[in-house]
Amino acid sequence: MRSKIIRAILGLGAAFASFFYHPCSSSAETRVAIGVTETMETYNPYGDSVSLLYGIWCQVMGCLGTYDFDKGEYEGMLAERWEVKDPNNWVFHLRRNIRFHDGSRLTAADVVHSFNRVRNDPQSKQKQNIAPIASAAALDDYTVRFTTKEPTAPLLEYLFDRFIITSKAIYDKYGPDVADRKYPIGAGPYRFKELIPGQRFVIAKNPAYPGMKEKKQAPDEIVFRVMREPEQRVTALLNGEIQIAQFIPPHMRDRVERSPNTTVKAVDSVEIMFLAMSPKFKPWDNKQLRQAVSYAIDRDAIIANLLRGEATRLDGPVGPGQYGYNPNLQPKYEYNPEKARQLVKQAGYPNGVDVDYYTPVGRYTLDKQISEAIVPMLHAVGIRAKLHTPEWATLWANVQAGKVPFYYMGRGSVVDPSVALSQYFETGGSPRIGYSNPKLDELLALERRTFDPAKRKKVLSEAMSIITEDAPAHFLWRHQLLYGIARNIEYRPTPSGRIFGEDIKVLR
Amino acid sequence: MVERAGGAWLPARLRIKVFAGGFIVFLLLVVGTLGPLIAPHDPNVQQLRATLKAPTWFTGNHLLGTDNLGRDVLSRIIYGARVSLLVAFAVVVISGFVGVSLGVISGYLGGKADFAIQKLVEVMWAFPPLLLAIAILAFLGQGLFNLILALVAQRWIQYCRVVRGQTLALKNRDFVAATQALGASKARIICRHIVPNIVQTSLVVGTFAMASAIIAEASLSFLGLGVPPEIPTWGTMLADGRIYISTAWWLALFPGLAIFLTVLGINLLGDALRDMLDPRLKRAGSV
Amino acid sequence: MAAYLVRRLLGTVPVLLLITLLVFLLLQAAPGDPASLLLSDETSAADVAEARRRWGLDQPVHVQYLKFITTAVTGDLGKSFRFAQPVSEVIAARLPATLELATAAIVVAIALAIPLGVWAAARPNSWVDNLGTGFGLFGISMPNFWLGIMLILLFAGQFHLLPSAGRSTYGVAGPEQTGLYFLDSLLQQNWPALKDALLHLTLPALALGTNMVGILMRVTRSSVLDALQEEYVVTARAKGLAERRVVWRHVLRNALIPIVTVVGLELGALLSGSIIVETVFAWPGLGSLLITGITARDYPLVTGLVLMYTAAFVIINLAIDALYGVIDPRIRY
Repeated sequence: MRSKIIRAILGLGAAFASFFYHPCSSSAETRVAIGVTETMETYNPYGDSVSLLYGIWCQVMGCLGTYDFDKGEYEGMLAERWEVKDPNNWVFHLRRNIRFHDGSRLTAADVVHSFNRVRNDPQSKQKQNIAPIASAAALDDYTVRFTTKEPTAPLLEYLFDRFIITSKAIYDKYGPDVADRKYPIGAGPYRFKELIPGQRFVIAKNPAYPGMKEKKQAPDEIVFRVMREPEQRVTALLNGEIQIAQFIPPHMRDRVERSPNTTVKAVDSVEIMFLAMSPKFKPWDNKQLRQAVSYAIDRDAIIANLLRGEATRLDGPVGPGQYGYNPNLQPKYEYNPEKARQLVKQAGYPNGVDVDYYTPVGRYTLDKQISEAIVPMLHAVGIRAKLHTPEWATLWANVQAGKVPFYYMGRGSVVDPSVALSQYFETGGSPRIGYSNPKLDELLALERRTFDPAKRKKVLSEAMSIITEDAPAHFLWRHQLLYGIARNIEYRPTPSGRIFGEDIKVLR
Repeated sequence: MVERAGGAWLPARLRIKVFAGGFIVFLLLVVGTLGPLIAPHDPNVQQLRATLKAPTWFTGNHLLGTDNLGRDVLSRIIYGARVSLLVAFAVVVISGFVGVSLGVISGYLGGKADFAIQKLVEVMWAFPPLLLAIAILAFLGQGLFNLILALVAQRWIQYCRVVRGQTLALKNRDFVAATQALGASKARIICRHIVPNIVQTSLVVGTFAMASAIIAEASLSFLGLGVPPEIPTWGTMLADGRIYISTAWWLALFPGLAIFLTVLGINLLGDALRDMLDPRLKRAGSV
Repeated sequence: MAAYLVRRLLGTVPVLLLITLLVFLLLQAAPGDPASLLLSDETSAADVAEARRRWGLDQPVHVQYLKFITTAVTGDLGKSFRFAQPVSEVIAARLPATLELATAAIVVAIALAIPLGVWAAARPNSWVDNLGTGFGLFGISMPNFWLGIMLILLFAGQFHLLPSAGRSTYGVAGPEQTGLYFLDSLLQQNWPALKDALLHLTLPALALGTNMVGILMRVTRSSVLDALQEEYVVTARAKGLAERRVVWRHVLRNALIPIVTVVGLELGALLSGSIIVETVFAWPGLGSLLITGITARDYPLVTGLVLMYTAAFVIINLAIDALYGVIDPRIRY
């Protein structure tokens, strides 16, 4: 009885307070708005496969672990530790003090349920993340075993940051649609607050998550706002409408830096940009011609003038910070038009050669402009490239079907290059380039079976050396991702593009 | 009301339209045909070390500045005039031919042909104009030919409607009936009596179709659905320049100005033409 | 009259059917596969094939079309591939934005064009007329996307007076009721939100409405000029009615038919104009949705949108025919 009265009084007080204090203007709460480029289109945590959303769902629902780019190693989140029992069996031990936002405990059953949902949900766009896994089993309440189809050394690359854990109980009770739409209850460091597809995603701090209470500077609320146009993000940042703006184009950097309240932070992305030359087609079946392209392009000039220094040149498939990077990888292609001209002649084209060159438009930073700059460089060495700019859907369909001989392209989320290399260069990996080399196939298969990191890096390095030498692709650079950041915020962007609330500090 | 222009004398208002419009269109024709002779630079030559240079106006090397690849903006605008003109002429001529033929057939023959053509008009007309062009280009792919096709797809309708109406009216006029009674063939009547009488109207419709084709070409190029990149066009220049709007305003300003002035010139001439030929048409065009 | 409208409405059914067929064929002719566009780069070929099967894309075109038509008749336009929601819901969520923009553009156009046109017609060949005619030509010749860019450059970039993109500032508006932000904020008497909504609306509405101002102004001028020649005007003047009263009461009413016709015709142009203006101003409406749908090869969404656009166009034309009867009681069907 007494407690009822007290509750009633408290309730009245709260109502009274909220009457005078608009909750948004409450000074105790900190809110950070972030202008992002990816659209968020569905309530289903498994219905998208873009890095930003993986990051948001990972914070709201929870995931097993994450890659720490500073330390260069994997770190547990819901999983406390993990071990490789034998090459085909991985065991993950969950933390015992994790609770869903409704108070129930997170257990191994939820992990197994999530695995099944990724695999069976008709809307799932994340099946590729569990592709190497044959089955998942709960060994006890806090232990999960994943059995892989074949030994997969880079398994954490698949699972961490991407495999989202959701509640089995809620799913069983309401079914997928209602559960996603009405009960987005997770176990992560942030809670779901609001999602308007195509417009915004709002999350709020969850103090009950271990360690979150101590992170006082982490924002209480984060609003991810979809702002596709760079102009729109920069204007909003300068007006103080948002505190972090994703992907500032190079030419707008000055404007953000000149403003007293904002600054720009850059980070190398994990997207590798390259020119693909498919040996399935003439004249690209000729290795010398492919190498000629590699010598013909002045990457440094393009980076310095067009990209204003905001890209890091690649010598080989990966660069610093990516797994398996070897600074001494051979061969290296320096800009040498004379040598390129000779290679074109040696390749059997004394009078030069005509080729068709395809580029996406508006998909990657300054893609069309870069390709327009590449064309005259190729002309200068006798490779008369004709530039085509098909619409993305058309280009992508043709690339995937292996119908495009020569194109500019990027491959994102290359933290560990294993998957990307296999996809583009292993025999049967995909028709995109149509390159085939038994020696390379052997090395790539070996790399996946090698669990000792040092040995694995060596094998990877050997494989990448073969690719660079054979040049079915010429690796150009990684763009820098520029983030506009308000000065009252401390944040260092990550190469993968995910944004975690706990990495943001609000300065008061 | 404006008098029919019988002799050399034109009302002041009309004179301004004719002179201003004529001047702009003449300039455009000169620039378009003589482009390579008057352009100060090769429109496709890049200077990666001289990108995004602001206009120097009357001094210096690049009167209207350079773009993000160091190409001369003025030269690109001059070359862009050719594409705009080529597309606009091709669209007007082809859609005029299609529209007038179908309109005459529909109006003169009537019956099943009329029904089929009018249904087609109705279907095509129900598409918002740009939507149809976008659909055709997105699905057929880029290229000058597809671009022209996409623009023709809807512009013939305007001719068809106007011409059908006029043909219906002419059909019942005495001189046509008389020729018919004399035993002239249908083809002969159409060629000798109907077509000459609808040329004027079609000309007026054509000028406005041309103006709208230039804008539509630019819009489609702007959306990235225009011609391949080695051909500089005003719409593509605008689309490329748009991302530099806060740092290099000249990239978006000048190509847009070129489009605007061209369309203005053609509209002025079209207006004058309409006033001279047939005051009753005043409401039909300009869509 | 009702019978006439029903007959006309029924007549549009085959037109709409033909249009959906046309869209279906165009979509099928287009290269690009929705499944591989939507799924991640790393998805296996088997999973892509499964998605295609689930979406019915492995069926022959005529089977897909029949399936679409039979469900569309019941009002179900299918599920968007990309948004994983019913097409009708996706469209409904974006419709208010486009409605708001189009309404604002029409209001701008009518508010500027009709007074200007009447004024010009009342004093033919005066400086007012010349200025008005010049402005009309200017409006017609202006590519709306370029005007949009220039407006952004000036008012957002240079003077920082107006926002450059989007519909609202986050956190200002209350909950959505109608989805039309200015109406919502009026209903909720949320004045800061009303101001915010109107500020965001200004530039896109100007960019979209200017073409229409030009056309409408010219039509108003010429039809008012025509009406001024009519006998009853002469009579009214002879009776000694004030000139102002003659023009605004008698003439305008009779000049209204061509004006209304043109407004209706221009609504179609407005719809297509909104596609590109929405892109320029990042306005979250149907136009930008259509571009998204086309680039993602979201067949159900594109078909649904085209169907909606054309149906709207047909209905607008019908509504205008019906309006004639209201404006001029002499017209009978």
